[in-house]
Amino acid sequence: MTTEQITSVAERPDPTASVAPARAANRPRVSMTARRHRAFYMFTSPWIIGFLLLTIAPMAYALWLSLTTFDGLSPNWRFVGLDNYRELLSDPVTWDALGRAGLFAVTSVPLSILAGLALAVLVNRPLRARGLFRTLLYLPAVVPPVGAGLAFKQLFDQNSGAANGVLNLFGIDALGWLADPYARYVLLMTVLWTAGNIMIISLAGLQDVPRELHEAARVDGASAWRTFRSITVPLLSPVLLFQTVTGVIASVQTIMPLLLAPDGTTAGVTLVPQSNYLYMMHVFAQYFAIGRYGYASALLWVLFVLILVVTGLIFRFTSGAVFYNVDPEAKK
Amino acid sequence: MRSHAGDPPTRRRFLALSAGGAVAGATALSGCALQVSTGVSGSGQTVTVMVKPGEITPDDVKQARKDLGIKIILVKYDITKLIAMMTTGSPPDLVRGAGAVDAPYFAARDLMEDLDPYFARSTVLRPADLDPVNDLWRYDGRTQGKGPRYGMAKDFSQDSMYWYNTSLFDKAGVDYPPETEPVTYEEWLENAKRLTRRRNGQTTVFGGSYNGLMKSSLLASLTAAAGGSLFTDDYSRVDFTTPEARKALGWYIEYCRTKVGPSPIQPDPNAWDGPTYQASRMAMSNSGYWLGGMIGTDRKLAKVSRLAPAPVFGQGPRISPCQSGTGLWMPKKARHKDAAWRVFEWFFGEAPARARASGGWGIPTLKSLRPLMPAQQEYQKRTLQVQDAELRHFSVISFTPYATADALDALFNQVAPAAMTGGISVDTLAGRLNSAMNEQLERGKEQVG
Repeated sequence: MTTEQITSVAERPDPTASVAPARAANRPRVSMTARRHRAFYMFTSPWIIGFLLLTIAPMAYALWLSLTTFDGLSPNWRFVGLDNYRELLSDPVTWDALGRAGLFAVTSVPLSILAGLALAVLVNRPLRARGLFRTLLYLPAVVPPVGAGLAFKQLFDQNSGAANGVLNLFGIDALGWLADPYARYVLLMTVLWTAGNIMIISLAGLQDVPRELHEAARVDGASAWRTFRSITVPLLSPVLLFQTVTGVIASVQTIMPLLLAPDGTTAGVTLVPQSNYLYMMHVFAQYFAIGRYGYASALLWVLFVLILVVTGLIFRFTSGAVFYNVDPEAKK
Repeated sequence: MRSHAGDPPTRRRFLALSAGGAVAGATALSGCALQVSTGVSGSGQTVTVMVKPGEITPDDVKQARKDLGIKIILVKYDITKLIAMMTTGSPPDLVRGAGAVDAPYFAARDLMEDLDPYFARSTVLRPADLDPVNDLWRYDGRTQGKGPRYGMAKDFSQDSMYWYNTSLFDKAGVDYPPETEPVTYEEWLENAKRLTRRRNGQTTVFGGSYNGLMKSSLLASLTAAAGGSLFTDDYSRVDFTTPEARKALGWYIEYCRTKVGPSPIQPDPNAWDGPTYQASRMAMSNSGYWLGGMIGTDRKLAKVSRLAPAPVFGQGPRISPCQSGTGLWMPKKARHKDAAWRVFEWFFGEAPARARASGGWGIPTLKSLRPLMPAQQEYQKRTLQVQDAELRHFSVISFTPYATADALDALFNQVAPAAMTGGISVDTLAGRLNSAMNEQLERGKEQVG
């Protein structure tokens, strides 16, 4: 339907006018643009109301809590201004947990992106049973984290786990995988285990790379590595940027160390080995084990601001390295 | 600029409307939250009970409907959910808790209903019939074990006792502990070392497990067994540097360091002793009478299992406390108190109580139900004999009202592993624990007022 047709429909006499001419005369004229705006807002309002109710309101509530000594049950909590923020700046446990979370992000994110990309390249090749491999490699990504945590705990248990069974076969003494200093490696393995997520997105990106570019490179005598480096990676760069940003956010928010912890009780969060005691573990402990809702809310707000800053920095420093394959005509 | 009915909403107006919608939604949700428990007084009421899975079964719920005409809605126990329900003014009508550590905390915050008037009227739960363990649920504003009753234990054990596997003692050539006389904690640890079996860096048999139910109540019990008190007289501070607390702490750290059993630095993936003990991979398990419920289901295991008295420290008194006393309490703002009390009476004094008493998963908390404890099999008779003798040494160890056991446990877990691995001395640990825990207690004291 063209614009002219739409206008003519809009201007067609109202068939009800003869029934209720006075009402029709009083009704304000609604332009098509107004109707479209209204439709837009009607369709988006459930999300916006949900966003205000389930994101903005809890964040505002957490901001208020962060300025108090509220512990959930005690009657005499009070407003303390920025005291919780001052305390966290001088709390060595907070800084250590934040440092470990940063270290975890800078190791786990590149490793998982590399693993996912390698798998994507592998299953993008014309292999026999390629669909089966893709499914099998993606499968761990759909296992709920709680199930994965339980499986890893059993697998890496010092006294009855299969990992030490394998070491024993080679005459190597069993290791305490779930304790320091090995616990960090088990945590990394849980991240790599779900690299299927990244593989799927990278695979979609790979299939979007124009085949003629690869053919041209081959004609010019470029090696496979050179083709990958100079054609595939630049064209995948938006996908890689997306994975980096979401990966960093997910890694600083991970609660997997808790799922690997030996004690399932609330207080057990503090039994997470020190190398895995990341920022979110500290937040969890302050909220649910120690009951300092105010302090824990301050920790969360600081994390929120840090994530915003880090995300901004990533965009800033990668702006020149990301290649967007945009059709210039589409902008007109 | 005035807006007209037919105009599209401006962004500002739209956001204002959305915010209004959000507030209306929040109010509606809050209204829903207030309707968790509904009904009218008397039979036909609905009572909300917050318990852990299995503490009240769906069959119990059906039975309650039949016996009492009261509908029970079960809510899974979760402290965060409890806080949310309390703060929105719609608490459950009954809540599970561990009397040993929860009663002073909640009572000091004026969140619990004084149940004395109900007990005084009850023909099912007569005060004279209550086992002394129920005193864990009493608090007079200063001392646990005195004052009004705020709850009741469903069953109990003396949690410093331990079970041992005679076949593992035989294999290691270690003498069995005496039936009714306690060994010292030092002897217990020595036995655990001799019973431990290791191969290729793996522990094939744990000599013994000794972790109590919660770290803070374990340490309070151990300190009491050494003749002291972990808390100061007004319960506003801990002191791990007193000779008795230092002795208790030193013993537990030594237990962890020697790795004779599960500990924070050598966790059991099952998070409790049951499966490891049942698999004959643990020679001694620090569990009270309640573990007999599991042992009794395995005839072979029952044949080689013995219950032993709580150990003592050389010069300390002989005590055998209950570290939990798990039961139910009624929030002060409960909506259906009379109906909740009827469920309370039924749960603690009628069919469910009788079923628990005969199940062997704990000692009944009404003296009149004691004859129902399982005593048909030989191993049951032997266990009961040890348990009966141990009851003479039952004692209540008061806990602080200024912090939850979870909070103190969390702080212990944060600080103590360094000492368990030899990174810091026990004296340094004692100082750090004092500092971390007293800070938490100070905050709690300020908030209780």
